[in-house]
Amino acid sequence: MRLKLKTEGGFASFPGLQGPVEIDTEGLGEEEAAELVRRVRETRFFERPEGPGEPPPGAADLRLHVVTVEEGARSRTVRAYEPVEDPALRALIEALDAQAREIRRARRGRGPGGGPVGRPGGNVPP
Amino acid sequence: MNHAACRNPVFCLTPPYLLRRIARNGSPAQRETATRTLASDGTFRSLRQATPPSRAPDAGVRGVLEPEGRKRRTIFDVGNTQNLPGRVARTEGEGPSGDAAVDEAYDGLGATYDFFWEVYERDSIDDDGLPLNGHVHFGVDYANAFWDGERMVFGDGDGELFNRFTISLDVMGHELSHGVTQYESGLNYMGQPGALNEHLSDVYGSLVKQYLLGQTAEEADWLIGAGLLTENVDGVALRSMREPGTAFDDEVLGEDPQPAHMDDFVRTFEDNGGVHINSGIPNRAFYLAAAALGGNAWEVAGRIWNATAIDPRLKPDTGFRRFARLTARNAASLYGSGGREEDAVRGAWEGVGITP
Ligand SMILES: [Zn+2]
Repeated sequence: MRLKLKTEGGFASFPGLQGPVEIDTEGLGEEEAAELVRRVRETRFFERPEGPGEPPPGAADLRLHVVTVEEGARSRTVRAYEPVEDPALRALIEALDAQAREIRRARRGRGPGGGPVGRPGGNVPP
Repeated sequence: MNHAACRNPVFCLTPPYLLRRIARNGSPAQRETATRTLASDGTFRSLRQATPPSRAPDAGVRGVLEPEGRKRRTIFDVGNTQNLPGRVARTEGEGPSGDAAVDEAYDGLGATYDFFWEVYERDSIDDDGLPLNGHVHFGVDYANAFWDGERMVFGDGDGELFNRFTISLDVMGHELSHGVTQYESGLNYMGQPGALNEHLSDVYGSLVKQYLLGQTAEEADWLIGAGLLTENVDGVALRSMREPGTAFDDEVLGEDPQPAHMDDFVRTFEDNGGVHINSGIPNRAFYLAAAALGGNAWEVAGRIWNATAIDPRLKPDTGFRRFARLTARNAASLYGSGGREEDAVRGAWEGVGITP
């Protein structure tokens, strides 16, 4: 399964934080991969509306998350403004965001333990 | 009453309007102390609340103990969840809670309310005393702040790239001002109107800070979100109104993408058509107008922009050029047609490639 997260906008909108971050579960450890797949299943990703719907009137600085999942021949993109109401979708976005942060940390060479951390399953285009 | 945050007894007994005067006109050392006191100490507000007003509210004159409009703040602690509203952590008149984010939001929303009231006689977001609700500790490592149409929400930042979002006064000013825009022009959050919506929030946010610090246009840093980036980041702030495109250049965050001139207007579908990017153009125009006029930016340039923000001719779909024209017209009607104020405003827009 391949997953992609892009985050747009927000008060602190930075080109380097937009992503997209791309994760291929094949590059992850077995447990980590299984957990991501489980999170995708919990969102009923391939059945859910593509979104994002209308943000509340007058709202500003809400970030927009764009999540794409590819599995076999299937591919779907779902968009959601913050705050993300559905706990399952929110958990998936948070898991992908955590991956993105680890990748960024590795890029700066400040991984836990001091050395660079490799993320074989993930990459952020330069 | 909680005096824990009160380190300087002189300032502790000084009414807030005097403190503000010191913050504006005192010696550098006095200014620093007064500003710190104003920013960090809720003692005055609780003192004022606890003491009955010296005049009846309908006496027609504001009592000394009641120098501001009646602000009604509630700060909620969302407890690092995303379940709004969270629990009430501090209400109007209560002393400091000891939680930095709670107290910064309380003081920041207070300073913003006071700015609007004292400078433009605006009574809160809707100009009718709308209660101010701030929500802190939203989410986990949440690196954003937003206005959801009813409330202001602030994350703690991730600690790696971002500090907590309440650390910078102009962030509270920026978010509250999105509410003002919602109740006034209702500028669409898309394309050029969206960039103007962002622009107005940056203008008010920066002016709130300049007013509290008593800085002239020349002295001000014109930064949005100074102090928000951690020391790991090569950058000084999120945006620079004086020099859009120069606030950061970092291997992780990337390069500040803001243009400072119409020649560099960014066409994109992302971020609602680059509302946080192209706001650099009007931001620079405001700075140029304020710099040309000199003195305190909130007094002349700010008054012209505020008149434009509340001008019924400012429509939800107004773009840069029409907005620029409205600022020139408001300069003329406030200060006289063909005066130096109108000239400064026209010159400022021409400086960013827009002919009003
Ligand atoms: Zn904004």
